[in-house]
Formats: sequence, structure tokens, C-alpha cells
Amino acid sequence: MDSIEKTKPVGLLEENQIAEFIHHARELEHPRELIIDILRAIQKNHGWVPDEGIELTATILGLTPLEVEEIATFYDKIFRRPVGRFPIHICDSICCWTRGGEGVAAYFQQQLGIEFGQTTEDGMFTLLPSCCLGGCGRAPGVMIDHNFYGELTPDKVDRLLADLRQEVQA
Amino acid sequence: MSQTPQLLFKNRRPGETVFMDGYRATGGYQALEKAFRQMTPQELRELVKAAALRGRGGAGFPTGVKWTFFPSDAPGPKYLVCNCDEMEPGTYKDGELLMADPHQLVEGMIVSAFALQTDIGYIFIRYAYEKQAEHLRRAVVEATEAGYIGKNILGSGFDFELHVHGSAGRYILGEETALLNGLEGKRPNPRLKPPFPATRGLFGRPTTVNNVETIANIPHIINGGAEWFLDLALTPDGSGTKLFGLSGHLNCTECFELPVGIPLREVVENYGKGVLHNHTFKACLPGGASTPYLTAEHMDVALDFDSLAAVGSRFGTAGVTVFDDRTCMVAVTLNLIRFFARESCGWCTPCRDGLTMVRWLLEMIDSGKGTPEHLEMLKDQLKNISGKSFCALAEGAMGPVAGLLTHFEQEIVDHIEKGCCPFRK
Amino acid sequence: MPTLTIDNQKITVPEGKTVLEAAEELGIQVPHFCYHKELGAVGACRMCAVTVQEGSSKGLKMSCLIPAEDGMVVTTDDEQSTTFRDRVGEWLMLNHPHDCPVCDEGGECQLQEMTIASGHGVRRYAGQKRTYNNQDLGPFVAQEMNRCIQCYRCVRTYQDYCGGRDFGVMGSRNRVFFGRFQDGTLESDFSGNIVDVCPTGVLTDKTYRFKSRYWDLQEAPSVCPHCSLGCATIPGGRFHELQRVRSGENQLVNGFFICDRGRFGSGYVNHPERPRQARNNEQLIGMDEALRQLDVEARGLIEQHGPEAVLLLGSERTSLEANWLLQQWAKKLGCREPVLAAHGPRHQAAQVVAFDLSDRLASLEQVRGSDLVLVAGADPLAEAPMLAVALRQVVRSGGQVIVYDPRPVELPCEFDHQALSPLALLDFLTAGGSDGQHVRELLQHAESPILVGGADLLGVEGLQRLKKMSLELSNDQRPCLIYPLLSNPNSFGAALLSLPEQDDLLTRLETGRVKMLVCLESDPLLEAPESDRFSVALTKLDKLVVLDYLPTPLSVHANLFIPTRTPVESDGTFINNEGRLRSYAGVLEPGLPISVAEDGGHPPREFSTVSPGSDPLSASRILQILLKDDSSLVELHQQMVADFPRLAGLTGLTPSDAGVRVADAAARNVVNIDLPEQPVGTLQLIVSPARYGSDLLSRYSDKLEPRFSSAWVMMNSQDAAERGLQEGDKVILDTETGSFCLPMICHPQLAAGCALVENSAALASLVPGAGISYCEVSREVSHE
Ligand SMILES: Cc1cc2nc3c(=O)[nH]c(=O)nc-3n(C[C@H](O)[C@H](O)[C@H](O)COP(=O)(O)O)c2cc1C
Ligand code: SF4
Ligand code: FES
Repeated sequence: MDSIEKTKPVGLLEENQIAEFIHHARELEHPRELIIDILRAIQKNHGWVPDEGIELTATILGLTPLEVEEIATFYDKIFRRPVGRFPIHICDSICCWTRGGEGVAAYFQQQLGIEFGQTTEDGMFTLLPSCCLGGCGRAPGVMIDHNFYGELTPDKVDRLLADLRQEVQA
Repeated sequence: MSQTPQLLFKNRRPGETVFMDGYRATGGYQALEKAFRQMTPQELRELVKAAALRGRGGAGFPTGVKWTFFPSDAPGPKYLVCNCDEMEPGTYKDGELLMADPHQLVEGMIVSAFALQTDIGYIFIRYAYEKQAEHLRRAVVEATEAGYIGKNILGSGFDFELHVHGSAGRYILGEETALLNGLEGKRPNPRLKPPFPATRGLFGRPTTVNNVETIANIPHIINGGAEWFLDLALTPDGSGTKLFGLSGHLNCTECFELPVGIPLREVVENYGKGVLHNHTFKACLPGGASTPYLTAEHMDVALDFDSLAAVGSRFGTAGVTVFDDRTCMVAVTLNLIRFFARESCGWCTPCRDGLTMVRWLLEMIDSGKGTPEHLEMLKDQLKNISGKSFCALAEGAMGPVAGLLTHFEQEIVDHIEKGCCPFRK
Repeated sequence: MPTLTIDNQKITVPEGKTVLEAAEELGIQVPHFCYHKELGAVGACRMCAVTVQEGSSKGLKMSCLIPAEDGMVVTTDDEQSTTFRDRVGEWLMLNHPHDCPVCDEGGECQLQEMTIASGHGVRRYAGQKRTYNNQDLGPFVAQEMNRCIQCYRCVRTYQDYCGGRDFGVMGSRNRVFFGRFQDGTLESDFSGNIVDVCPTGVLTDKTYRFKSRYWDLQEAPSVCPHCSLGCATIPGGRFHELQRVRSGENQLVNGFFICDRGRFGSGYVNHPERPRQARNNEQLIGMDEALRQLDVEARGLIEQHGPEAVLLLGSERTSLEANWLLQQWAKKLGCREPVLAAHGPRHQAAQVVAFDLSDRLASLEQVRGSDLVLVAGADPLAEAPMLAVALRQVVRSGGQVIVYDPRPVELPCEFDHQALSPLALLDFLTAGGSDGQHVRELLQHAESPILVGGADLLGVEGLQRLKKMSLELSNDQRPCLIYPLLSNPNSFGAALLSLPEQDDLLTRLETGRVKMLVCLESDPLLEAPESDRFSVALTKLDKLVVLDYLPTPLSVHANLFIPTRTPVESDGTFINNEGRLRSYAGVLEPGLPISVAEDGGHPPREFSTVSPGSDPLSASRILQILLKDDSSLVELHQQMVADFPRLAGLTGLTPSDAGVRVADAAARNVVNIDLPEQPVGTLQLIVSPARYGSDLLSRYSDKLEPRFSSAWVMMNSQDAAERGLQEGDKVILDTETGSFCLPMICHPQLAAGCALVENSAALASLVPGAGISYCEVSREVSHE
């Protein structure tokens, strides 16, 4: 508990979230099964999982940071580096590819002025290549904040980006 | 064409999700009532075996047979795990099913758990399906309130708890033993088999892993009976309906519930509404990214496990991705291999490094830098990777390569001879 | 027992053996990476492919995974298998740098060997190689990740086998990274093993970097001298310098791995202040002269003052041969029987083990295979590190470990711990308390129970109680064996040779009748309790003679000093804690290492027929000279066996052997020890060895310095609170040995009513194993 106190100021999890996870972990025979839940919760609050997030997860579950890192770094949807407010997962798998996915990706890059893996200067967008998002019928598509946007055209991309910018301003 | 009985998509309406009331309105949870009140677990298992239901997760293993391996009488905790990882490109049927009608899976999980006598169930669901996960969580709450989940369900003395477990990406989690490691919070490398999950699965306990669609079929089998289920298929050996997710160069790329054994032509022409922009059909992946290509010559093949195996491909998940005649099959294969190489877990050499090698060979050929030696190397890699990796990921990865070499070797030769891609202007 | 055919050769192997193991028995080496005898098979690398021609499942299979079947026909050299293995070699080499000439693994690289064995010779892949940034893993292990071939052996060793939790595998696909969460020293006490298991140059011994190529090293099978377990090691030296130690293989003892103390504690051999020349007071003399003086003076004194005048002191760290020869020399001189250990209570406890327990001793292998181990009064990581790893294997295979010890014992596995004071522990062993009954019941029902007992904490009395317990818990179906921990590599050997009853060293010195004390590789000032009393007793001597290889304080005081050889510079035998004779072979000739002589610079340019510092002779050689005996080692062993039939196993014993048990002894008359009454208000004093720097060899090993701990006294939080003390306070620890001003630390898991200190360079005068004693802890009075 001491070390949890220390990690608190970072504000990765709400106090009640920490308490809940600790409570839940105590009830479980195998607390490890909560790793992804906790990492996802941290990411939801903080946008990505900093080292302190790994350490916090480790403390809650009675693991070492390494043991959490072994898991965290396996998954591509856990970010261990800062990302923008809206990470854009652009599908580059086969169905989107048949429907012009490469063009859409290029259009995003051009409009945002960044490459894959980069974040716009205003901290709004990060472009990430992703495998199939399960929207094969509505290709080409991207996923942002768990929403799937399909059948994208340059027009739709423009509108999407504008809407997202607006959402933040609102 | 509209006569296919709709079981799984019975309640499906665009943009809508059916919950408890809607589900009940069309007969939902009747199978559960029947199973708990009139049938023994043993009878349920026999029924599923008689219905010849084959796993919808890709491998097509007969579910009833798998269930007979399960030590239902063993003391101590046992688990039923539903695989909703669904990350193979071209496959999106489970996502569609859960968007429309999540209670089907919940009911299926409860009756399957009863049949197998497992006391704890997990639905393992991919990161991109957070909406579906939310629907499932709501459905679980509703079913709990209705007394279908919890202690002493319908006075049967049977207890069951059901959890929805979200993932964080990576295709390998679909492999059932990797999934179990993932659920346990361990590194999701596949496990050595034997021991099989039925003996040592989740947390070292007996476990059955089944696909979403597989489990969603169980209540329908209970309601309709084995004979009825067998008769749904168009092929004599087949059974039931199947969710076909269409994609690629088709005019209509939607997900349909169609009888098992429907010919490819009918899927492409009647449901896919023909090839996009009136181009010609060149090839397709019949069942997801890991299945060897079918070509125009296969238009009349029945889409079923055995018929597709007979022509050197696989039914897989029935995600049909179509390519028109302007498509470069080297580029298609490269795209697929890039996916598989990127999704390798990194455990075994043929997959981790072999796929890297294959990707490089295809890059060389695709970019016009290929040589005849590269073609020979590609054939050699196919021979040495297929069936020789630790799990089926690398084997699946080589499916398209096998298809490419069987049906489109000339395209590779053209690339090499021209020094560029013949399809690019 | 299935009989199968591999490459046209038939072989019958025990049920459950794999095809790979069967092939190995036939002398057919199937290339492999991820399979390791101790770690088992995981089927990841795919290098060990063979073709099953006949069998329940035919075709290309991984030989490490398939069990041998009766009637199976396997080929390893068919086209399919050889091509596939060639491809695996090629895949593994995709990213591997071609830097063999500068690689630290050069010459002992399994990847090099397997790549050649697999037939892969020409690079065809011309794509980009993936590269990594390396981490700083601390002073012991260097990392060069670009060379990684992802065999996962390091994690399987570090985490799975040894129980370390700060090194593992991160990332995925062709970008997996083996390392720590962040830069920093590897925390496990067994970290060095990843150097041995890594088949390529990723993880190498940092302390050995840039010293030698493998083929330039002199190596020989040896025995680790850092505790009483006697793990197999392979020291490697060059230019008179012991440059590294790697683990040897001994299935009965350590298996494949060793601890970091054993691996990195080798610096004493090259210690810059190691005395390498004989000396009469201030004057350097030749060896011949020194031995002549010793002989003449010893005789003279005996002639003049009688047999009491010369006292010979053997040691628990010198070889069995040297101790025995010392006894022979005493006979020849006509003086009294030598004392073979400076530390009386430890020596007596070792005698209980060597005589009374000798018919019920377990091997470390048996510990690993046990289903229930009771550890009583032992802290494995401090006293016998590889025991901790063995206990982990018990837990990994579903067994249970229960520890009863006053200290806050740590183990690299799950275990139950009850903190009992030393006195309560003795009570517990005689079934005192409900705990005692409960644990007995568990042990009664176990299939192969083992009692681990630390001789330091239990002492003579505790070990005897442990024996009673083991007798009571044994039945017709199975015994309940004992695994005792002793303090030194040859404690058992010294005890076995000793007369059961001896006056203790100090009493004899204090009579004033001893004129000359000869200390053979022993420094009672550091290795025995009551160093103050000893210092005073020394003043009564006319002559102090020291033979040693360490620059101990005693050797500095010696009137006559004679340099001896370290175990790696001589042949000899130790008897480990379970009575196993383990012999070792010399690796190096003694001499001033170039790195020491010229401060790491160029070797001396003068011509000379002798190399500097090459005087030292082994203790047994010295004694043989004094005895004018030039028997060979074999002849010596014959004489020893004739003298001590229990040592029969010495005949034919070689350093490559797993070792032979000494014969059982008839039990002796048991004496009951009176335990000292506890004065009111006192605490029981526990002196524990520090994990590093308690045994003298590691104390004189510079490589281990980063691991040395500072001095402190530990108390249970409640005892501290009662005395108004807090963590970090400076306190006075009053003991029979003296008073010490130390910082205090609190630990909730230390048994109530105890004070714990660690013996190390920082607190050398409190020595473990001195028996039950009491102390008081109070706040330091400030003199403001
Ligand atoms: C690499 C790989 C990915 C897989 N992905 C999935 C998946 O996303 N969903 C699924 O149900 N089965 C998947 N499978 C198959 C499962 O391992 C397993 O066979 C299946 O879940 C069993 O369910 P079923 O018998 O109901 O089909 C995958 C297999 C492999 C080798
Ligand atoms: S084939 Fe090998 S590396 Fe690929 S996913 Fe399976 S186990 Fe991992
Ligand atoms: S040694 Fe058999 S697969 Fe690695």
C-alpha cells in the first residue's frame, strides 16, 4: 500500500478504481488475470501507459514491474509511449487494401502532415497502422476511441478529422 | 434465395441491438428452459454430437466430439471459454452477431456450460469489439437478473458465473491455448499440446474453448433437434447454417446467414451482387486470410469443410474476400504475409523468422527485384514452414503462399521477367 | 522400455525418454537450442527436427518433444530433416550480426556450432536486420541483444528455474527483447546462470570481458569452495589469473547451475595483496628455507617442552588430504593430535552430521525430488544458495516447503514461514506446541519428506533433535531424510577425521603450554568466535606459523608465513554437507597474474626462468615435504582409506565424477547439552552469514564487492517499539563478544525476542554458529 500512495500523484487511476482493483485482486485466486483490465483503465484515463502505470499495476497485483511489462509490451493496443488525444488505427489488412486502404492511409498522412507512428504537433492525432479491425464489410476503415469509421473517402476523412477537432474544443 | 432459415440473424436489423425483451419475444431462452427442465447434460452432449455441428472458429472440429473428450464429471473448477478474438482479416461474423443479438451467445454459454458441467465461463473478446463487449456485459446482467446465471439455475442445482474479458490486440490470442495464457495474464504464447485444454486448460483446469458462432448455434439445435439442423445444410455431410462475411471486390460486402454447402457462385453473384464495377472474378479467400485462394474455376465448389478441403483450400471462418481481375496476387499475398509476420507471437523460429524471410522474398518479387532464385526459395520456404511451426499461425500464413504458387505462379514469373509489377501502370 | 532404431542403430531407453535423448545416448548429436537438459523441452526453436519413418505419428517431428516408442524408426540424416534444420539455421541467422571475430562468445558459441552442424553456410537474406539498444544489467552480466536468437533459455533459467522476477521477455514477433524493466543490476542471486545457458554472445560474463578467448583458457572440473554444498564448477584461468568460473554439471548435487557467490566469488585467487612468498617476520625467504625452519623449530620446541608445545590447527576449508597429512605430521613430530577446525561449536555440530546423521543424509537431488521439505533453522540463500533453487523445484513440481527459522527468510518460491526464536525452534523440533504436531502430521503423510537443518543455528543439540524427529517420521515404506547445512566446503571432512572429543583450541592456548601454533589455511581471528580471547591467547605463543593463500589478519601477524595454493591451483578432495567425496583438479599454476603485476599493462620485460609469485605449494604438498613422503595422490588416498575405512570412496575418484558418499558411521554416545539460561530482559542473538562476504573467499573477492552489505542489527517491529526504538536509529548491541554501535532496522517477520546481525566484512567479529547467546539492544547515548 505504501508504494501505491507514492504513485498516486500521477493520477493514472482514480482512488476508487485503485481500491476496486485491489479489492478484486484479493478476491481472485489468480490476480494476474486483471493485468489487461488495469492497463486498459490506466490508458483510458491517461491516454497511454507510462512507466509509473506499469509500476502501479505491479503494486496492485503483487507482481514486479518486469512481470507486467512482459505482458504490456506484447499487445499493440497498449501504448507504452505517448500518443495524441486520438490515436487513429488505420487498417492495413487485406479487405481494406482491396478497397483503397493505402490511399486512405496516405490521405491521413498528408492531411495531418505526419507519418505512421507520429503525433501531430497539437497533440491531437497519432497515426498507427493496425491489423484487421473487423470492419471488412465496410472497408476501408479506421478505429478511433473504439468507434469504427468505414467506407472512407477523402471527403469523409476531412469531415471526421473536423468533427474530432470540434469534439475536443466543445 | 431468401428461403434460408435465419437462426443466428433472426433478430438482426440494421443499426439495432436486441436485448432481453426482444430476444425473448422471438423464443429466446426457451432452449435454456428446455435444457434445464427436460434434459440431462449427457443428453445435451449427445444431441450436439448428433447434430454434427462443426467448430465455426476456423478449424471445423466437430463440437460434439470435442465435448465428449471433456471430463464433465471431474471434481473441482472447470471452465468454458468462448473465443471472440476474431482478428483474422476478412472475418467479422462474430462481431456482427454480437452487434445484433448478444443474448444468443449468453444463452449458448449457459446451456453449453450445463452440458459440460463447467461452473465458470469466460467470453474472451478482442479490443476492437468494445461495443460488442458492452452489449455482452449488459446481456449478462439481464440474464443474471432473470435467474439464468448464478446459483442453482432454474432449481437445477447447477451454478454458473459468466465473465466478459477484454483483450488488447494481437491475432495470436485467437489460438486457443494462447488465449488461455492471455486470460490468465501471462504472455500469450501458445502452449505445448498435449496436454490439451480439456485436461489442463485455464489455470491448469479442464477447459473447453469454442467459437462465438459455434456456441450461439447450441440453443437452436436444442430447439430444432439434430435432424432439422443437419437438413439445413445443402451438402450431405454438412450441417446447419453459416455466417458468411463478404468483403473485397464485391458490390455488396455484408454478412449473411446462408446454408452450409452453398456454392461459391451463388455467394458471389446473388449475395455479393457480383464483382465490383463489373470486373471479372479472379480469385478469393474462401474462409479468411489463412485459406488458400480459390479461382474462377472453383465457382461451383460447395462452401463446406470437406468440399473445400478436396480442392486444396479450407472453409475456415467463411469470410469470403474477393479479388477482381485487376488485382496483383503477389501484392495480395504480400499484404497477407505482412499481417501474419507482424502478428507472430515470436515463440518459434519458422514463424518469427521464417515469415520474415517470406515477406522479404515477396517484397523483392513485388518490387520487381526478384530473380528466379527467389521463386525457388519461396517454394522451398513453403515446404519448410507449412506444418512445421509450433502452432497453426505460421501454417495459416502459408495458406495464401500455397495458393499463389499453385494458381498464380505465372504472375510471379511475370514480375521477375518484367522487373516490375505487371498490374501497376 | 521401448526399443527404437535411429539412423539404423537400435537402442533401448527407459520409458518417457525423448528421441533426442535416445539419439544422444547413441552418440548422435541432433542440433538443438531451446531444449536444455535441466530446463526441458519447449519446442520453440525447431532445430531438433528428425523424421519419424515408423511410429504412431510419422513425418518431420521435433525430437525433443516426442517420446521414444517401441518399434519406432527415426532418421536424423534424411533429406527432409537436414534441409529443414538448414532452414532453421538460416532463419536464426537472419538478424544475427556476423561479428564472430569480436564477439565475446567466440569459440564457445553454440550458435556457431549449430549453424555449422545444421549446414547453413551462405547468407541469402538481404533484408534489413533488426537491431536493439542494450541494457546495463549490472556488474556481472553484459548484454548484446543484437546477437539474440530467441531460444528463451535465459528467461526459462532466470524466471522459471531460479525464480528471479526482474528479468524476462518483452515485446513479440521478431522483436522480442530479453532484459529488465529498466537498466539496473540483476536482482537474483543466481543471475550468472543466464551466461552459461545463453547459446550465443548476448549474455556474457562482464567480469571476464576482454580477458581471454575460450580456447586460451585453462579449465578443469572443480568443486565450489564457497559453501558446504560442493557444487560442480569449471574454473577457467590464464596468465596465473583465475578469470572466471562457470557451472559444472553434477546431477546429484547442483544439477546444471550455480549461485553468483560461487561464480563471481573467485577474486580471492588474484587478490592483489595475496601473500605469495614465505616470510620470517619481516624477511622474505625461500620455500625450502621456510619449511626447514618450521621443521627444525617444531622439533626443537617439542624436545624442549614436550608434546603440548606445538599445536597444529587444520581447517574446514583446506582439503581432506591436507588435514589428514597434518595428522600424520603430528604423529611424526610427536605432538598432540591436531585440532581440525578453529570454530569449536561448528566443528562439534559438523561431527554430529558426520557421525550421528550419516545414515540418513539426503542429496540435493533428493531434495529437488521431495514433496515436502521442512527447513528448520536455515536461511538457504545465505548458507547454501543452491538449496534455495532446489526448494523452488520442489514447489514447481507441486510439493511444499515449510520454513521454521527466526530470520525473515526469503526464497525464490512460495513457502510457509514461521518465525520462531532459536530456543522456541528447539522446542518445536521435539513436537512442542500445536505447530510441532501439525507439521509432523504433514511430514508423516508425505511421500519423500526431507528435513533441512542449519548446523549454525541448531547446533549440536538441535541436530540431535532433528535426528530423533527423522527417526520418528521414517517408516517401512520410506525414510525421512535429513539435509544438513554446514559452514565450509570441507566441514564434513574435517569432522570425519577428528577425534570425537577434543579440548577446544582456546583452552589449550590459554594454558600457556603451547609455544608454537601452526595454522593451516585457517584464521581463528575471522573464522571463530571470541576473537578477542584468541588475540590475547596468541600473545602467549613464542611462535605463530601461518600457512595460507589469503591475506588474512593472522597471516600478517605470523612469525613464519608460508604461502599455499588455492583450490584451483591444486588437486584435492572436499566432503560436502551430505558426506559426498568431491575431488577437484588444479587449473592454474600459482603466480603473480599479469593483470596484478603490471597493473594491467604490459608483462615484465626481464628474462627469468621462474615466473614471479610462483612459490606457493599446496598445503598437502608442503606437509608431504615435511613428512618426506613422496607418494602420489593415488597412494596417498590408499593410505587414507587404510586409516579411515569410511573414505573407501576415495579410491578411483576423479574430479569429473559426481562424487561418492562416505560410508556410514556407528552412532556415538549422545551427550545432552545444557542450554544457557536467558537473563531477564535480553534478546536471543542470531548471527547469520551475509549472502556475500561472510565466507572468507568471497570476502576477499573484489568482483563481489557490489553485493556486500553494510552492518546493522535487526529487530522485530514490536520489540523495537517496546524499547522506544525506530528503524534507522543508532543503537548499541551488547553481546558476550563485545558492544557494537549499529543502525537498527525493523522487520515484522523476524521472530519476537531476537536480534539479528549479519557476519560480513562490515561486522567481522560476530561469527555465526557460536551457539545460543543473549544480547541487549539499547539506544545509543548521545554525548552532546
Ligand atoms: C492463429 C490462430 C488464430 C485463431 N483465431 C481464432 C479466432 O479468432 N476465433 C476463433 O473462434 N478461433 C480461432 N482460432 C481457432 C481456435 O484455436 C480454436 O480452434 C477455436 O476457437 C475452437 O472453437 P471451435 O471449435 O468452436 O471452432 C485460431 C487459431 C489460430 C491458430
Ligand atoms: S507459429 Fe510459432 S511464432 Fe508463430 S504464432 Fe505460432 S508459436 Fe508463435
Ligand atoms: S530443441 Fe527441440 S524445438 Fe528446440
